[in-house]
Amino acid sequence: MGCYSEQIVSLFVEGELAVEEARRLRDHLATCRRCRQLLDALRAENRVLSESLQELPEEAASPAGFSRSQWSMAWGDVVFVAAVLALGSIVAVWTNELSIPEALQWLNPFSLSGRTNLIFNLSYYFVDGGTAMLRDYAAVVGELFLLLLLGGSALLLGRRRRLHQPGLRLLIVLLALSLPGFALDRRHSALVTVAANETLDDTLLASGNIVRVEGVVNGDLLAFGGSVEVRGTVKGDLVSFAKRTVVSGTVGGNIYNFSSSLDLDGQLGHSIYALVQSLRMNDRGRVGDGMVVAAGDVSLEGEVNRSVTMFTGNADVSGSIGRELTMTGDRLTLTNTARIGGSLSARVHELKNVHIADGAKIVGTRDIQMRVRQNRFARPRFYFYQAVWLAAAMLVGWLGLVLFPGFFQASTHAVGSGWRSLGLGVGVLAGVPVAIVVTAITLVGIPVSLMLLAMYLAAIYLAKVWVGAFLGQILLKPAGATKSDWLLGLLVGLLILTIVGFIPYLGGLVRLGVVCLGLGAFAWQLYRASRPAITT
Amino acid sequence: MDAKRNNAKGSQPREGKATQMEGPDLESVIERAQGHDAEALGEIYRLHVRRVFGLCRYMLDSRESAEDATSEVFLKLQRSIESYDGSIPFPRWLLRVACNQCIDALRHRKRGRQVIVEVEEGVAVIEAASSEPSPLGAVLSTEERAQVRDAIARLPENYRVPLVLRYYGELSYDEIAQQLGLQRNYVAALIFRAKQELRRKLGHGSK
Repeated sequence: MGCYSEQIVSLFVEGELAVEEARRLRDHLATCRRCRQLLDALRAENRVLSESLQELPEEAASPAGFSRSQWSMAWGDVVFVAAVLALGSIVAVWTNELSIPEALQWLNPFSLSGRTNLIFNLSYYFVDGGTAMLRDYAAVVGELFLLLLLGGSALLLGRRRRLHQPGLRLLIVLLALSLPGFALDRRHSALVTVAANETLDDTLLASGNIVRVEGVVNGDLLAFGGSVEVRGTVKGDLVSFAKRTVVSGTVGGNIYNFSSSLDLDGQLGHSIYALVQSLRMNDRGRVGDGMVVAAGDVSLEGEVNRSVTMFTGNADVSGSIGRELTMTGDRLTLTNTARIGGSLSARVHELKNVHIADGAKIVGTRDIQMRVRQNRFARPRFYFYQAVWLAAAMLVGWLGLVLFPGFFQASTHAVGSGWRSLGLGVGVLAGVPVAIVVTAITLVGIPVSLMLLAMYLAAIYLAKVWVGAFLGQILLKPAGATKSDWLLGLLVGLLILTIVGFIPYLGGLVRLGVVCLGLGAFAWQLYRASRPAITT
Repeated sequence: MDAKRNNAKGSQPREGKATQMEGPDLESVIERAQGHDAEALGEIYRLHVRRVFGLCRYMLDSRESAEDATSEVFLKLQRSIESYDGSIPFPRWLLRVACNQCIDALRHRKRGRQVIVEVEEGVAVIEAASSEPSPLGAVLSTEERAQVRDAIARLPENYRVPLVLRYYGELSYDEIAQQLGLQRNYVAALIFRAKQELRRKLGHGSK
């Protein structure tokens, strides 16, 4: 009798062969070595398949929104972030001078879109680790991150004299929201849902891997999670910190969003303030007021009643904007269906990256300008700012010296301990943010953590002053350590640090080193000062 | 807190078996979940999310859709768990629910059409398949298993879906045929061809 085909043997191995045929095959196997070998090989193959599938394909091995607890050590995270930052500062100069092919732009962490990508990946990495360790406090930690990141970016944008109003409002609202935590309806579990027939009269603070609102929330919704979806109605504001935020229902107030992606298919009563990787608003989306967005990619197909301000790598507009469109970034496309009720103002790197279709309607003026970044040394403004910065640092140094003479001079001296300061500084630079978060976990601790944050930022600024003064002292070797000697040394030191800071490769490293050294000296001095009677 | 953390640790990928709670433990959790106990549902989520996500990730082509499908499975579970009657082990039952969800998702993307369409020459080709098979080796190193996984993930949908349903979802040919609305023979042919394609991709077959 002839041998069986591979397919039949395969069916037999799977236990999928009809009883009668299986019996015949079994009889045949008893006599045929070749078929037995085939059978064994196919069995082994099935085992390989089942075993291999026990794990996930490489790139999917860690589903972002889902529980992952290997990295529960926040320290590891911090060191990782610090390492990335350090590396980043080195690579920064280098990549700025390279011409990167268009297709690889998203990889470049120094293009807007690449940078937002990086921010998001880092912050999710961070938050994932944090939540695994402090699961019960995930909501508060997330809230704090939201605060820090949004507050920080609002301040930065505010300093550029844009976004003054909304930026400040944002900060105030977030601060206001973060404090009365006890007046909220809190829900925390892997899945948080407000069912279609459910109505909540309070503000809802929800954290979970999935937060979904199908019913009605009469207050605000503060949501932290992998995926936040509003399919029903939120009558107040939506504040969300999530990997993905989808609004297909109605939000009566504003949306304050920090997500990897924000999709708006529904109705929004007021404005969007968002720092996101990608923002998509499809043609069903309606925004009652305006929009202020910092994003990697923005696509607007729906209707915005008032003005839109965006800082974005890539913007596609095919919907309608009631008033002005102000855009700063890399690329802007207005399609035939786009309609802008006011003026268009765009700042881009290259004019060829602005595409305005013939059919696009712009009622007001068009103001499209190149944003020149490369030759900052050629602009007088640059030197002016540097001079202002230097003067400010000198002023701070002088003030410090007048108010806390012993402490400032001793801190300057402590920089000289070299490795001790550097090591301590790296620790402080990385450790204090953790301390801030941990302090903030209890609601009572929030003011303390904010104070700590302020001190941390101040110390980072002062670091340059101490290192500059130390450098100046070494170079000038003044005979007597008078105040004016100290200040002169500071001026020389700061000048040198400033100039060195602009050297490619080295500059970034030097700046980081300066911050670490100065912080270390500060921390050491604080420690010493706290031991004997407080002299400052 | 510590016990909780240990549980969370248990849901790491490798320990597919270790994560499965044994007997009475899981039963009580399921019972509580059937009574709409949010904590029990959360527990089930923590224990099974990786396995479900894995299935979705193999079945669907992007990570996002896999995450969406996984979310859907667990959201629907709040209602559907009531219908679980204990006739098959819970993990297996849950995987079937996930299979359904993935197939729905695939169907939805094809605007309601069938996920896999039968092609005439289907079965005939198989019979003419290579007479000198060289199936994948018996013992694979970790690295080789990773290669197999990636090769599976890269298979075209009509091969990948039945193969994953069979070896990950542990569905029978009849069940797969029913789920996909195909003839049983055709399912057998697809799985057979999927394996041949895998061997080819991994450099084992048709030399």
